Amino acid sequence: MEKEYIGEFEELILLLIVMLKDDAYGLAIRNELKDQANRNVTIGAVHGTVNRLQKKGFIESRMGGGTESRGGRRKRLFTITASGRKALERSRNVKLNLWQQIPELAVNKI
Amino acid sequence: MVEDQHTLPSRLAERFLTAVCKRDLIEEILGDLHQYYEESAEKPIWKRKIHFWFHVLNFLRPFALKNLGGDYRLNQFGLLINYVKISWRNLIKNPLSSFINIIGLSFAIGICLVAYAMLEWDYTKDQFHENKDEVFLATTLVNRNGSEVQYGSTPGPLAKMLKEEFSQVSKVCRVKDAKVVMKYQNKVFHEEARYTDPEFLEMLTFPLKWGSPASLKDPNSIILSEEMSIKYFGYENPIGREVFLVFDPSYKKAFTVAGVAEPFPVARTIDFDLLLNIENVGLVSPNTDFEAWAASVDATFIQLNDKSDIDFIKQNIGKYILSLNESQSDRNISSLSFEPLASLAHRSGDIVNSISYELPPEKMTLPVLGLIILIIACFNYINMAISSATKRLKEIGLRKAIGANRRKIIIQFLTENLIITCFAVILGIVLCVTLMLPWNNMLIFKYYFGFDLALELLDMKFWIFLLAIVLVTGIASGLYPSLFIARFKVTDIFAGSVRYGKKNKLTKAFLLIQLILTSISLTVGVALIQNTTYLRNSSWGYDQQEILYVNTDHTAFQQFYNLIEQNANVLSLAGSEHHLGATVAPQRVMTKKDVYEVHQLLVDANYLETMGLKLKSGRFFVRSGDENALVVNEMFLKNLDISQSTGQSVELDGSLYEIIGVVEDFHTFNFDFAIRPTIFMLAELSDYKYLSIRVRNDKADETYKELEQHWAGLFPEIPFQGGFQRDILLIDERANEGAKFILSIAFVAVMLVTLGLYGLVILNVAGRNKELCIRKALGANIINITKTIAGQYTILFVTALVIAVPLSYFAAEAFLDLLYFYHMPVSSSAILFSVTILLLVLFMVAFTQVKKVSGSNPTDGLKVE
Repeated sequence: MEKEYIGEFEELILLLIVMLKDDAYGLAIRNELKDQANRNVTIGAVHGTVNRLQKKGFIESRMGGGTESRGGRRKRLFTITASGRKALERSRNVKLNLWQQIPELAVNKI
Repeated sequence: MVEDQHTLPSRLAERFLTAVCKRDLIEEILGDLHQYYEESAEKPIWKRKIHFWFHVLNFLRPFALKNLGGDYRLNQFGLLINYVKISWRNLIKNPLSSFINIIGLSFAIGICLVAYAMLEWDYTKDQFHENKDEVFLATTLVNRNGSEVQYGSTPGPLAKMLKEEFSQVSKVCRVKDAKVVMKYQNKVFHEEARYTDPEFLEMLTFPLKWGSPASLKDPNSIILSEEMSIKYFGYENPIGREVFLVFDPSYKKAFTVAGVAEPFPVARTIDFDLLLNIENVGLVSPNTDFEAWAASVDATFIQLNDKSDIDFIKQNIGKYILSLNESQSDRNISSLSFEPLASLAHRSGDIVNSISYELPPEKMTLPVLGLIILIIACFNYINMAISSATKRLKEIGLRKAIGANRRKIIIQFLTENLIITCFAVILGIVLCVTLMLPWNNMLIFKYYFGFDLALELLDMKFWIFLLAIVLVTGIASGLYPSLFIARFKVTDIFAGSVRYGKKNKLTKAFLLIQLILTSISLTVGVALIQNTTYLRNSSWGYDQQEILYVNTDHTAFQQFYNLIEQNANVLSLAGSEHHLGATVAPQRVMTKKDVYEVHQLLVDANYLETMGLKLKSGRFFVRSGDENALVVNEMFLKNLDISQSTGQSVELDGSLYEIIGVVEDFHTFNFDFAIRPTIFMLAELSDYKYLSIRVRNDKADETYKELEQHWAGLFPEIPFQGGFQRDILLIDERANEGAKFILSIAFVAVMLVTLGLYGLVILNVAGRNKELCIRKALGANIINITKTIAGQYTILFVTALVIAVPLSYFAAEAFLDLLYFYHMPVSSSAILFSVTILLLVLFMVAFTQVKKVSGSNPTDGLKVE
């Protein structure tokens, strides 16, 4: 199987989708990005990225319920797929592996 | 109210996004945006809205946008290529209309580009100076007859005073200009020298190509502009070479070339030819003491460490002005004002004797003409496109039948138009650079300003302007036709029931506007040409035809005078410090009532008779004893309200002068300017700068050649400078060239209207071919056919002319008023000329078609394929 690599922003969003569990939709992800990673991005940027992740098969989506604050419109809720999980693990392993090979940058020294 | 909460904060945003975004994404997008808006309730409302719209616009991303029309999964690229291909085929297939459109637009764009080059120059002039905000020109405000006049020339010691009294002033420099003869080996020319303090090159940004700016401290050094360096030394480095400045035939001084400036930026109003230390001014006018407050310099610049300090100086300058006025007899300086270099040029229209200058108000002529031609060309395109759509009905029907919606048809026709505009822009640039700009420079700019305008092809702004022109013209001319064409219903097209083109009201309105604009520009052009002739033949108030003048100085004057006095063709000779048409001195005359600004000319006793001024009352000067006498013009009496003409006394420079004679009004300068109150006084021989010579009838040319020879024999080191008095007002050069330019543009407009009308009539006749053939078959004669073809246009032309005649008259009158203080009233012949030209156009266009129809066989037209 051809391996799909993920970018830094994509990785962040994947992690947030896992973290947000049943309430991972566009605006929620954006707000978490702001709180957790101090990244201020537009709603459009998040939508663009999840759209791409979905095309790559890392996440799936379904329509959730509408709320009054959304003017009655439904949310699109995202969940991670098995290949999304694999991609995350792969990315983490590569980095951990590299970190461990560099004694000067050993985790406890920082 | 609850209902409102369920909608997006702005219905506009919702509609916008629904229009551009993919259908299956729209719900989540709108939902998120809505929620975002709700959650940001703590922010102020305007911030909330701005943020909201920022997020809305940020959805204009490739993933979210739906494809224009139809099935968005299809690749649109192929279709675009197809549009281009079809456009190209159409261009080739209809060479006539393509030619009309492209030529018309390219002329319009070419003229717009020249206008752009001029405006670009106008808005960026003098902005290259690094210290443009910190350097100020000191100007004096003087109270004159109740109103404040701002002068750019200042008392000589002002610079020193400002430097000493204000610690905020870091640098000062004075500028004084004077004419001089420069000699290097066998090259001898009259030049303008600029005498200044060494700080000049530090305060203004004129980098040197060779040499060092510090050399200006040395009074024996000279710095040249690049142009001067090339003129005297070619392309070699002249540093260290010795040149001579000849101040008068008996005195010359050697200077070492110590610097050559880099080429000056084109957008400048201040520069120099020769730059010398100001200490050398003493050599030019030995009698002037620049440390005295009465002496004036042409400009005083100051530089501040911090530009905001200017307010402090302005507030505290008051006490110095008092002592400044005390030291002078009649200068009535009420205040000093400081003009930053950055805005100096734009303010120079209001400053008397400013070192910089502003373009005259007629600078707007060019942009206005450009716009007129652009409108005419665009209307041409619209009319042609609408009329020629007949031929493309089937194509449009077919496209619609196989799935093109309205939007796609609009895009197709706009693409087509943009392609035409692009061709026109390329041709327009070529026209502008190779033809219009050099021509315009030759006619106007070189003449006015002594340098060429250029299109900065590498400048970003130029390309933005170009892009704007393509989009604006492309869309302005293409939008209506494409909307019009896209409106047709497929079923109507194939049923053959689409009827239009023959009586389109908008087409007629456009043609009407074109005709009116053309008539106006024609009338203005002709009126200008006529006015030039009128001015050339109108009286200047003296006899300019048989007079020659020579620029000289007092030492050369006597020798030359003695020599040419012998010449048989010379009737009379006069010397003067000032000269009609060349120079006057501003002067202030005091009566018991008030102080008046007048023009003063210092002349010798022969001057008034030699020039042929007409005495109205009293007498001219006699050789001696008239030291305290004045000869004035009628305007002087009128302005000063002096009833009895001669014998009155007025005060001037603290002493009394008696008016001994009154001459009839005359034009000191050209017809742009009002006649000013003028006084003549006797000059000192040591101040003579002009020699005026009245010669026998028709001997002017012959004598002029002899003068040149005599001069060369006497003063081999000083080139001859002189001319014919009849040329001194430069009426022909100035007015004629401007008029030619405008008239040529008017003829471009006529050409465009002709082409446009020709195209319309051809299409009209083609569309009515069957009708005309039937008429012919039933026995219509040539008059009948002419009526049928030209009838509707004749009515249109008559309407247009009825509107255009008064408009043209007022436009021409207003334009002449703008250019001249004295001009001829707009003649009926100018209007008649433009009317005739336009009728001739209609006649010719109609004639070609009538001839074609009457020569054809009706059966050919009625045949069914």
